[in-house]
Amino acid sequence: MALNAESVPMRWPAGPLDIACGEKAKGFTAETAEVLRIWQDPASLAIVQGTPVNCLVVSWAAGLPADADQPAALKPLIEKGRQAGLGFVGVIAGQADKPAAVASAQAAGLTAVAMDGGAPASAGIPVIPWNKASQVRPAAKSPVVGISDGIWPGLPQAASQAGGPTNLPWVDSNGAPVLIVRTLAPDKTVWIAFDPPQQKLPAEAYVLAVADAASYGAKWVISLDDQLRADLAARKQPAADVWKKLNETLAFFDQHKQSRTFQPDGPLAVVSNFSGPNWDAAEEAINLFPRIRQPFRVIARSRAMGASFAGLQAVLYVDQEAPDAALRQKLIAFAQGGGTLFVPSKWPNPEGLPLTAEPYLMFNLRKLGNGRLAVCKDAQPDPSDLVDDIQNVISHRNDILRLYNAPSMNFLYETSAQGGQGVIHLLNFSRRPGSDGPLFYVKEPHKSARLVSPELASPAELAFARQEAGGAELFLPKLSVYGAIELEK
Amino acid sequence: MKQHLTRRELLAGAGIGAGALLVGPARSLAASAPTGRVAVARCKTYGPELVPAMEKMFDQIGGLSGLVKGKTVAVKINLIGVRWQRLGNAPMEETFWTHPRAIGAAVHLMGKAGAKKIRVVEGPWSTPETLEEVMLSMNWKPQDILNAAPNVEFENTNYLGRGKKYSRFMVPSGAMIYPGYDLNHSYEDCDVFVSFAKLKEHAATGVTLSMKNVYGTTPVTIYGEGAGVDEPSVRPHGGRGGTFHFARRLPSKSAPQQIDMSLPKDAGYRLPRIIAELNSARPVHLAIIDGVKAATGAETNYGSRPQAAVNPGVLIAGTNAVATDAVAMAVMGFDPMAVRGKAPFANSDSMLQLGENLGVGLRDPSKNDIAGVPISEVVFDYTAVRDKILADRKKA
Repeated sequence: MALNAESVPMRWPAGPLDIACGEKAKGFTAETAEVLRIWQDPASLAIVQGTPVNCLVVSWAAGLPADADQPAALKPLIEKGRQAGLGFVGVIAGQADKPAAVASAQAAGLTAVAMDGGAPASAGIPVIPWNKASQVRPAAKSPVVGISDGIWPGLPQAASQAGGPTNLPWVDSNGAPVLIVRTLAPDKTVWIAFDPPQQKLPAEAYVLAVADAASYGAKWVISLDDQLRADLAARKQPAADVWKKLNETLAFFDQHKQSRTFQPDGPLAVVSNFSGPNWDAAEEAINLFPRIRQPFRVIARSRAMGASFAGLQAVLYVDQEAPDAALRQKLIAFAQGGGTLFVPSKWPNPEGLPLTAEPYLMFNLRKLGNGRLAVCKDAQPDPSDLVDDIQNVISHRNDILRLYNAPSMNFLYETSAQGGQGVIHLLNFSRRPGSDGPLFYVKEPHKSARLVSPELASPAELAFARQEAGGAELFLPKLSVYGAIELEK
Repeated sequence: MKQHLTRRELLAGAGIGAGALLVGPARSLAASAPTGRVAVARCKTYGPELVPAMEKMFDQIGGLSGLVKGKTVAVKINLIGVRWQRLGNAPMEETFWTHPRAIGAAVHLMGKAGAKKIRVVEGPWSTPETLEEVMLSMNWKPQDILNAAPNVEFENTNYLGRGKKYSRFMVPSGAMIYPGYDLNHSYEDCDVFVSFAKLKEHAATGVTLSMKNVYGTTPVTIYGEGAGVDEPSVRPHGGRGGTFHFARRLPSKSAPQQIDMSLPKDAGYRLPRIIAELNSARPVHLAIIDGVKAATGAETNYGSRPQAAVNPGVLIAGTNAVATDAVAMAVMGFDPMAVRGKAPFANSDSMLQLGENLGVGLRDPSKNDIAGVPISEVVFDYTAVRDKILADRKKA
């Protein structure tokens, strides 16, 4: 099977190389090694038969002696898998001889390989760049770009579902890196890899792992914990139930793929080159905006000149280095036209005239035509205070969406190219329904709203409760992990 | 088992007949506490009946004119807790927060009575946002309040705000926890201080009415989890629980410090005392309680007690916070003379009793002048509502 946007990848640990790698890790047991041998057996492919999974990601080379045995050991698996229409991607890692590994992968009939660093010039099959998100290589030729350092999504251990009366709980999400990589590589499919913690996990944990990646526009390279893999191989029913739920979630996202072309939307745009020293600040801002329920767009600095600023109230220019003259002019014109431009403290020769502002603010405000220039006071501002104050300056007057009764949820708002359709992805990182169903405030009038979720037997039409002060509220049923509100204007 | 308890440990162990065993003034100042005038009004909605009901009530306690004419008035409203967590679908103003129409009505009447300036104040938990922003985030129209009378403004008192320095308020009648408190300038820069509360219960202090509302005057830059160690922080961070409820940390050193570090770290001991001290240090001239719509259980949707949005349909106002809260307690179906161990003070001392001992006011309704609708006609039994929820849960 060719590597493309329809590929549904799953990590398939098997064979002598994974055993050799495992033996170096703490807690590796004879039972685990046995499971790796079982998964090497072509009969194990029955696990993915009839599921959306159609691309198995195997270890191919790691610079270990076992590299030499891996292709032969996996040959029966690969041959049977290919006959069944499965694709195979070989991961080349560590100090492996990359050109040799790519050549052997091609010879073995693999669909592609995945590796960090540059692809060998001689590569005759697609080479998926497999890098940390901060080092993503969008220019690679592969139709897929990989993020190798995803995190297992959820609430950090010891975090409560509700947070405190003063704040919302922290959540671990892959949303920010996925959105950035999507922005940098808009023509590619993003895969994100992360492994589950080695503990017994409920089905909802795997549902969240799928949904966190999918709702932000990526595909999780499915990875099961050791026990689940062992139990699946042993055909144990609880494991089969978890696996079934995971696959139902994959199928759900496949059924709703029409919104894959939608783009994040909101009154604020984050502009950055997302590279080098700018990565952390940009990634953290994009990570935190969902926590303060601030919808946003993401714009690559290299494409900012061609990007439309229509509908924006504010632009956050993240990068420490000033933009080139043309982009600076565009940004300043945006502010002069009534927008607010947030810039770092290093912004040279700030335009406009000083405005008085609340003393706590992280920004010095300057009047610029009909708008404002907001220059950060600190060279290294606290990211949380920074995003809070961006929202304070923009003002809740300009909120287009508000989410209530969902402290452990994030949402992502995306719209179609023409703006007539929207979707609000809702992710519950606690994996448990709250005491009340989520409640959304929607500022703009819409023709219809319906909730779709793998947790619902069928889509639920949502009624708009018009508010005296403007806007409307949508009352949602309780959601354990994921739902999406589909909006029609 | 420990054989010998110190006096403070004994006190902490609580209420055990509490009353007589209160750290604070050498002798109770209850005898010198002022009496209060309190009025009760029926008001089922925040519609057209609101302003007349409030106006009549103010008239019954002596009229607003004598109190506010030509004066600067600070109106401390209640916008407690995380605003993103409602009680079901009910908006915050119909459960835990002072309703904007009620605020607007009071501001309007104060303006009509000749107030020179009206500053609506609150320290919404853990945020430096302006009050306008907090209100906008709830889909309120802050302009309706700002335009309800001439010279109305807002101030977030969580931090220094528009002041140059914090104002110090010493507890005149004998400290129990802190000898004084540093507050935002707004609480000093006013001739008249109004506490505009909600008719609510509280997980730690039993009830949260006009006295407890004053607790929210304390800036979290000094008393919050993220307060500066030596000096107040510039930005407010965190709630007040670490300092006030559980004494896990100290206020900024620039502020008056706890009189004795061995005092109990139990919220049921500390909070009523801190609240009584604050009411003694920054007395309330006019207490208003919005009981048109409110909530049972805790004061936020993080409480463990059964909660429900309710419609008691009542407004209460008085010239003394202790007296007004005593009437409010009676309206809620509680005994205002209750001490620790008796509802609603199951796990705390009575802030009313402590306030009485500090000479703030009198809780015995028979000693105050009560006008308007008889309490017996507007009793809305909060305990019965909670009991019903529990019974329904059991059935389910």
